[in-house]
Parts: sequence; structure tokens; C-alpha cells
Amino acid sequence: MKSCSFFRRFVLAGALALCGVSAAQGRINVVTLPGRDSVQLTIYNSADLTLVKETRHLTFRKGLNRLEFSWANTLIDPTSVEFRALSHADEVEVLDVRFPPRVTNTLEWQIQSEWSGEVEVEIRFFTSGITWSADYVAEVNRPEKLMELAGSVRINNQSGEDYENAQVRLVVGTIRLVESISQLAQAGRPGGSKAVAEEAPMAMPAPPAGPSARGGRAAGALMMADGLAAAKPKEIIKQGLSEYFLYTVEGRDTIPTGWAKRMPSFKGSAVPITSYYKYERERWGDQVMRYYRFKNNRDSKLGNEPLPDGQVAAFRIVGDDKSYALVGRTAVKYIPINEEVDLELGNDQEVQVKPALMNWEKTDLRFDNEGNVKGWTVRETWQVEIQNSKEIEVVLDVRRSFSGDWSLKTEVAYDRVDASKIKFVRPLKAREKQVFTYAVTTHHGVNATR
Amino acid sequence: MKRMMIIGILALTLFPSARLHARVKLVALPERARMVLSLNNPSATLVEEERVLPLQKGVNQVDFSWRGVNIDPNSIQVRVLNHPEEVQLLNTSYPPNENALVWAFSSPEAREERMRITYLLNGLTREIVYKAVAEPTEKNLTLRNYLRLRNDSGEDLAEAEIGIGYGAQFKKTIAHEEVMELLSERIENLPVKKVLTWDAGQQPWDPEYEKQTVGIPLSYVIKNDQASKLGTHTLLPGKARIFLKTKEIADDTSAKPGEGVAFTGEDWVALTPVGRELKMFIGQSRDVKVTQRKVKEDRTNLRRNLANQEVVWDTDEIYKIEIENFKKTAIDLVIVEHVAGYWKMVENSHPEQFKKKDAFTFEYHLNLPAESTGAKKTVVSYNLNRFNVQGNEPKDF
Repeated sequence: MKSCSFFRRFVLAGALALCGVSAAQGRINVVTLPGRDSVQLTIYNSADLTLVKETRHLTFRKGLNRLEFSWANTLIDPTSVEFRALSHADEVEVLDVRFPPRVTNTLEWQIQSEWSGEVEVEIRFFTSGITWSADYVAEVNRPEKLMELAGSVRINNQSGEDYENAQVRLVVGTIRLVESISQLAQAGRPGGSKAVAEEAPMAMPAPPAGPSARGGRAAGALMMADGLAAAKPKEIIKQGLSEYFLYTVEGRDTIPTGWAKRMPSFKGSAVPITSYYKYERERWGDQVMRYYRFKNNRDSKLGNEPLPDGQVAAFRIVGDDKSYALVGRTAVKYIPINEEVDLELGNDQEVQVKPALMNWEKTDLRFDNEGNVKGWTVRETWQVEIQNSKEIEVVLDVRRSFSGDWSLKTEVAYDRVDASKIKFVRPLKAREKQVFTYAVTTHHGVNATR
Repeated sequence: MKRMMIIGILALTLFPSARLHARVKLVALPERARMVLSLNNPSATLVEEERVLPLQKGVNQVDFSWRGVNIDPNSIQVRVLNHPEEVQLLNTSYPPNENALVWAFSSPEAREERMRITYLLNGLTREIVYKAVAEPTEKNLTLRNYLRLRNDSGEDLAEAEIGIGYGAQFKKTIAHEEVMELLSERIENLPVKKVLTWDAGQQPWDPEYEKQTVGIPLSYVIKNDQASKLGTHTLLPGKARIFLKTKEIADDTSAKPGEGVAFTGEDWVALTPVGRELKMFIGQSRDVKVTQRKVKEDRTNLRRNLANQEVVWDTDEIYKIEIENFKKTAIDLVIVEHVAGYWKMVENSHPEQFKKKDAFTFEYHLNLPAESTGAKKTVVSYNLNRFNVQGNEPKDF
């Protein structure tokens, strides 16, 4: 697509010998409007930031060339705009960049060229307003042993600018920004000129100014036309990049401003899962929380890439016709390769944990010289009734916390989570009920030895 | 506002230019072939509707839009049913400022394809309603379990297959703003246990000091298991109304008396998974009288500090509970007692009926004979000791 942006003007001042004319005076120029040859969007999900890279072919004359680059109703960070010659790089030099007074959203490059003729140039800048997010659909089979996990990426363009036939790259990872791109964009020019920002506020480009105002679906038709070219879902190529992961969407895409687009990213079939339940009174009170536990690794038919954080909709197949029951919707954290994941699906009252203190004894009193109690020991016997009322097998993780100088006796297996917490992990068959006990002795006052 | 949900196949050949005003669109409108409402999840209504879409060879745009219907746009999904390996979803586009999305499907040939569209629909509220009619003996009842639907979704749901995950599946039409009650289950002759519960922590101990007759809470207890003709699914929360069969007095003394019912009370049913008991508190009985008194309270093994303050002691306590049943039938009564701290039972008149619930609670499960009053009254007594009492004993956990 070679047409120039509707909003952005890229102006090559024609009369190069007129370099003596000031920028302010030179606002009336004879110009050519070179079109974009290519555009690439690198969209970050941890910040409202997209790196836009576009290439154009410009014709330079020998000597001083003035290039004006302006943008309006977009969210471009003026401090980020860069120019680079891709061809004849040794012969084309940027002398300076000027932001003309009393003009917002415009800059001008003074370029010295030793070459006369066509030069391929690259313009790079940051914009806000384009975001992407991941989402997942988890479809589990009736016994809740296997899952099909389908991931998608959704790109949302509210930047005010149409990016047509763009190569789209998505970055998974957390980057640091000391100033937000949208705030920098609002200033309209570097240096945080508040006066300018106040004069020309542009928090977000007004939607009517975008293509939607030109008949929203017109842009949609554009997308459709774009979609017609491909008869299979676009592959999303994933590659590691330092602490980040880069997803490159196959081919080119058009995402007009105001529109969002969702594309399949991956699908893992027959992913083994465990229907895992957790009980920890300190975290959730008496509620038992439900999870689908799986690993993002090759053995689990996944593990090709880290899974970006996003929303998950989990369904269980309940009918022979593959009809769904909604299990829950949840957010999932970023999942590195080989990580074990617990998809939290909320409280499930069909699995119950009832800990009951069955016996409490206070013994071994010790007195100080005044006759007051200075040490005692408490022995507690707890009975934990666990019940699975579901028609599927589950694994239940019961966590108990203690404090002080405590010791535990029990016939059942447990793991120590930390100095003050243990967990009993108990598989439960369908409709199974179990009862187990443990005794905890806590030494208080001078009876405590640790 | 006209309510509608539209799915259309866009005729793309009508778009010669990308900049064409695309609100002018020609679409084929396939009818719904099937609609399923899944109410399994208590907080969401999942709709699965099937439509047969005529696809062209190549890429097809399917436009799904709605107006006046409260659909969660982030929940919309589509599944290809006939040829899921061949017909592929390429992408989904979301136009600005519209309740709509556009799916791009690729098809290797022109064919009709059945699609299942899944989404969450707001505004379809449901209640579970239980109605029970107990036999005069109060040992059995007939339980009817209704699903009450109210459709405020904005959409007339025609010929919808409605399921709540158990019981009957329905195929009904429920119009916008219509309320419908459907019988999901009917269980005859379901065993029920009638229990009175007198809790020493809640009821007055000595009725003589009360201005009004003390009522003892009355509950029906049903176990959600197969022995009780249940046990196939979780009983969902809802209101239960309990009626009791009565014999009506005929006007004509020679006529056979008819059967009627009397309302005996109602309660909210808690969610009751399989294997657990459902207890419905439906009223009070005033034909059973419980009098509890502490007849001994001695402090022993008293230990004082140098300032002569009492620091630690033990106790020796005796309690006596007298129970009279004025009814002409026997009845089950549970007495609940609470004891804080470290204690041991020394003597107990009803060890068979004694049940320790936890460290600080025990119960007597008694069956009171009919008309057990006066000299025939039931007397329970127990003697317990508390140890190392400091006045700060725990009473719950």
C-alpha cells in the first residue's frame, strides 16, 4: 500500500535551494507526498507502547534538503521520531531536527545529501493507543483429564491512525518506561511544552475523526479484502529475544483505528490436566478453590512458547454433541515454558473441607517466683473431613498454618510448605469422603524452646 | 427499541473498493437451527446456538451483530461442527462503536456448514423453587423441584433447549419479559427426618422465667444420597415451601373426607452436594419443654500468686436437663451443649446418645417417647471437670 496516511503528512520541501527561508515563513511549500512502502508495528503488552517502523522512497537533491513530518489526531510520541537513510546512508546526513514554534505535531529535518536521486529511508516512532492482549479458551473433557487449550491474540487500534498492510509483531515481556507515551504524545513536541499541550490537547484522537467517521465498515471492508487473500489462519511465529518473546504475525494485516482484530495463536490438544482443589483458611476462609493444573511443556503438548498473561474462558464438555457447560472465566499470569500452571476457577462447593478441633488440652503449667503462670503447653487434636461430591476424581490440597514452638503428629503424609505451614495433598475418587487427623502441640511462654 | 440478533453472511463481491461506504451490505440471514441454554453455572447463562451457514469456496465473512440484547462481547465464540478440520476460522474483527463482530472463515469448497455460536447472555435470571408435601406421619414427603426462569435478556428465545445440568431438559419458547416455571424433578416418598434442636447457647435454660412459651426450632432433614432417592446431583439453593397433608372435614358427615394440605413453613435451601445433609428450619415446636440447670459448680485445685490473686483453678460441674414431650407422638430432639477450654466428662447419664462434635461442643441425640411428661419426663445429666482454667479459655476455633 503506497498511499500516504490520512492523518500524517510527510512533506519533502521541493525547492531545496530555498533553505534560507525560515521554517515559519516556509509553511507554504511546493511539496510531494511520498507514500509509505512498508510499515511494521511492534506492539508491547506490558505498556501502552508500539514501535512503528515505516519505509518510504524519497528523492533528494544534492545539498540541503528539508523534510517536514507532521501528525495530527494521533498518539505519536514526538520525542521518539527518528529518521535513517537505508540506501546511500553514507551520503545522507541529518543535520538537525526542528520543532517549529507555534506549530504542534510537526517536525522538520534538515538533511544534507551528497546524492541526487531516490533514497530509501526509514522513519521510526513510538505511538500509544495500540494494544494487544492474549486470551485463551480451555475446553476440558467430561472426566476433566484432558484439555484443549486454544490461544488467541487480539490487537486493538485506538491510535487514531490506520496502519494498512502492516507487519505486526507482538512483544511478550515487561519493559520499563519512565514517562508514558500517551503523555509525551499529548505534549505535541519535546520538552513537555505544557502551553502547547494545553493549547492543543489530544488525549486520544476523537473517534469521529478516524476512519470510523468515514463509515466504519469501510475500513472493515478493507480488512475483509485483506482477509480474502489468506485461506488459512495466519501463523504466528514465535522467537525468544533477550528477556522477551516476539510474536510475528505471518503476512500483512490492516487494523484501522477503532477496530480490534483477534487471531488464533496456537492450539494444544489433549493437554493432560489435574482437577486440583485448594483449601487454605487464611486465604479463602472456608471456601475450597478450584483449579485446572497443567504444565506448559512438551509432554503436555504445549511448551513451544511462554503463554502471555490474559483471560481464560474454561468450558467443560457435558453432552455427547460436545455441548458446553461454563466452568469459569479467569485471568492467567504469564506462564514461562516448563512452568506448572494453576488456572483458578473460583470456589466450588462440591468439594468440601471441614477441619474440626476435636480436643484441646492445656497442660504443663509452669509458674514464676510470683506464682503467675509463665509457661504452658497446648495439645490440639484436629479432625479434617474432606468430601468430593463430584462425579470425577480430584486432588485436594489442604494447607494448615501454625505458629510458635509447634510440633505435629499424624498418620497421614504431608509436606512442609514453610516454617509455619504444611499441606496435605489427598487424591479423592468420585463421591469419596475421607477423614484424617493430626495432633499439634504448641509450647508457650517458658515452655517454648524455639 | 427493536431487539434483534443477526447473523449474516456478507456478500463481499459488493465491495469494489476498500473506501466504499460499507454500511450498505448485502447479507444472507441463516435461521437458527438449534438453541441451547445452559444454566449449569449459577452465575452465568451460556447460550449455544447453531446455524447452518452457506459458505463459498475461499474466504467468507460472517457478521454477527446484536441490538437490544445484553451479550457479553468477550464471550462470543464459534465452533465449526461439520468439517472442523477443513473450515477454518482465520480471524475475528471487531468494528468500532458497534455490537458486532466479523468472522473470517476459509472453506475449501462451497458448502453448507453447521456452526455453533457460544456466548454469555445477561438478563436471563433463574431461581430454584422447592415444594414439598409431607405425609401426616412426617416421615416421607413428595419433593418437587422447579426451575423458574425470567427472561429480561431482550431476546425472544424460541424453541430453546433449556438445561440446568440435572433433571428434565426442556424445549420451550420463552419470550422477552416472560416468566416461566418448569418442573425439573418430582421425587415421591422421599424419607425425611424431623428433628428438634435445643441449643444451650441460644435457647433460654429455664422456661419458668420466660413470659412466653419457648419454641424449639424444628427442622426437616433430608440426605442427598441414593438411600433418600436423591444423590444424583447437587441440590441448588432456593426457597423450599413445606406442606403437610391433612384430612379435610366434609360438610356432609356421610361423605368421605377429602385430602388437603396445610402450610407448615419455609426455608432457604443451602447448596447441598451429593452425600451431604440438607437441613430446613421450618418452624418451632412448643409441645416440647426443655429445662436446663447447672446444679453444681465447685472450683478445685485453686492456685494463687503471691498477691493472693486466683491464677489457675479446676472445676467440678454438674448439669441437669429435664425434657417433657407433650405430643402424642415420639420425636427426635438434639440437645447442643458448649463447654469452653480444657475439660473432661466425668459422668454422663446418656453415653449412647452422647456425641462429641468438636473440642467445645457436644450433643445428645434423644428420642423422646410420646407424652413423656411429669414422672415420665426424660432427664439427662452430666458431670464434667475443667482444668487449668485462667478465664481466657477458647470456646471456638
